[in-house]
Amino acid sequence: MPVSLPQIDEQAGAAPEDWEAITAALSRYVRARTSRSDQVEDVVQETLSRLVEQNRQKTLVSIYALGFRIAANLLVDHHRRDRRYSNEPMMEQVSEAPLPDRVIAGRQELSALTDALAAMPPLRREVVVRRRLRGESCAAIARDLELSLKAVEKHITRGLADLHRAMAARDSQ
Amino acid sequence: MMRDMQIAADAALWVNRLDQPVIDTSASAAFDAWMAADARHRESFADMQALWHSDTLLQALERSEASIAEGEAPVTRASRFADLRRSALWFAMAGSAAMLFLIVPKLGVETYRTGTGGGRTIVLADGSHVDLSGDAELSVRIMPWRREVTLARGEAFFDVAHERWRPFLVKSGSTSVRVLGTAFNVDRQSATRTAVEVYRGAVTLDTPRTQDIVLHKGDHARVVDDRITAQATNPNAGVGRHDKPDWTAGWFEASDVPMSVLIAKVQRYSLRPIRLRDPKMAALPVSGRFQVSDPARVLNAIRGAYALEVRYDRDVIRIAPSAGGPAS
Repeated sequence: MPVSLPQIDEQAGAAPEDWEAITAALSRYVRARTSRSDQVEDVVQETLSRLVEQNRQKTLVSIYALGFRIAANLLVDHHRRDRRYSNEPMMEQVSEAPLPDRVIAGRQELSALTDALAAMPPLRREVVVRRRLRGESCAAIARDLELSLKAVEKHITRGLADLHRAMAARDSQ
Repeated sequence: MMRDMQIAADAALWVNRLDQPVIDTSASAAFDAWMAADARHRESFADMQALWHSDTLLQALERSEASIAEGEAPVTRASRFADLRRSALWFAMAGSAAMLFLIVPKLGVETYRTGTGGGRTIVLADGSHVDLSGDAELSVRIMPWRREVTLARGEAFFDVAHERWRPFLVKSGSTSVRVLGTAFNVDRQSATRTAVEVYRGAVTLDTPRTQDIVLHKGDHARVVDDRITAQATNPNAGVGRHDKPDWTAGWFEASDVPMSVLIAKVQRYSLRPIRLRDPKMAALPVSGRFQVSDPARVLNAIRGAYALEVRYDRDVIRIAPSAGGPAS
């Protein structure tokens, strides 16, 4: 999907080729996050313009980290707005629910992830559940499970890599 | 191949680092440098970050946790013992009042959410069982002196582990149900509407506008806008088929409830959103026993009974009064 870059001519700091790389990475992230293709461009554009604005005001510590964070927040906003509309029974509108093929793909993803979680060593799965599902801090997990902080980080990292591999295997089928 | 695996491992590491509340400056600079170095780094990170944030992963984790709660994995049991150990320690320490202020508790709230299309069973840290309907949200705080859960949405059947000194409190909007050990069902039908039914033991029902009332086994009460509007005894409760509420088997027994409540129940099982197009229709009183786990069957039944038109679109189900029908 072509995404036009915001005006960055006067941009000190990041070089134009960096913006292309940033745009590509953010687009890839946003595409993977939403089933609504019409939102991808909006979210990426909005993220970039906020990023450019912030970058103009001050030197950013990490332009990539901020970019992904802005995009994630915008996706949540969009999702909330969609939900608010769909909870309104009186509202007649073009439906924005995912298409059936997307629902099926979603189910396949879900079963691939469920299988990968079942195949994990129980301790690793426990750490991932606590971190992602229950939002516990790494320090709290380390304390509860009597692990070092380093070990918790390793379990999360390996767990995520396991899940990613399961998704990649599904995609290549 | 090795190289790809290394990139994936690094990307996962960065996803986790960036997920922390505080990221230090040197790590941020290192992250940008890593991302700028190679397009494959950026792609792998974007994929990994999207996966970590995805709802699908949350659902998979919920499923996996539900199966753990059924006792498949030893780790959860071990951690439950850890909880017990902790609460034993709590009581030991609480014995000394001077210590009490030092150990300001880490009182975590655990939140369970289910999507439309199905519910799950959870086991709480105190050993109580909860059957949660689809499209529900329940948050749980187990404290040394009290067990407290809040039903933000949906329906839940509680089988509460009996503890003589530690009450179990369920909040649904401004309605609260207080017990020591019993089995009962709480149905949050809307923001201001809650139904409670007792299957074993007794509970105390409290709303801001009424005196506490005690419900015994078989009693059923409905609270609408802080007033108890209906109260009846179900003679079948606790006998034979009725040791668990209907809904845990996918049924809903409606007696004079608004259509919107029935549709909300069906919605818990339907992947497609169901829209009611007419406010008068939403208020239409409905009675009957419906198999809400089979949305098409229910919609078919009410279509005939209430002269409605049900349209199945690809991604939404619309319900409207049929032309000339009594509901229009």
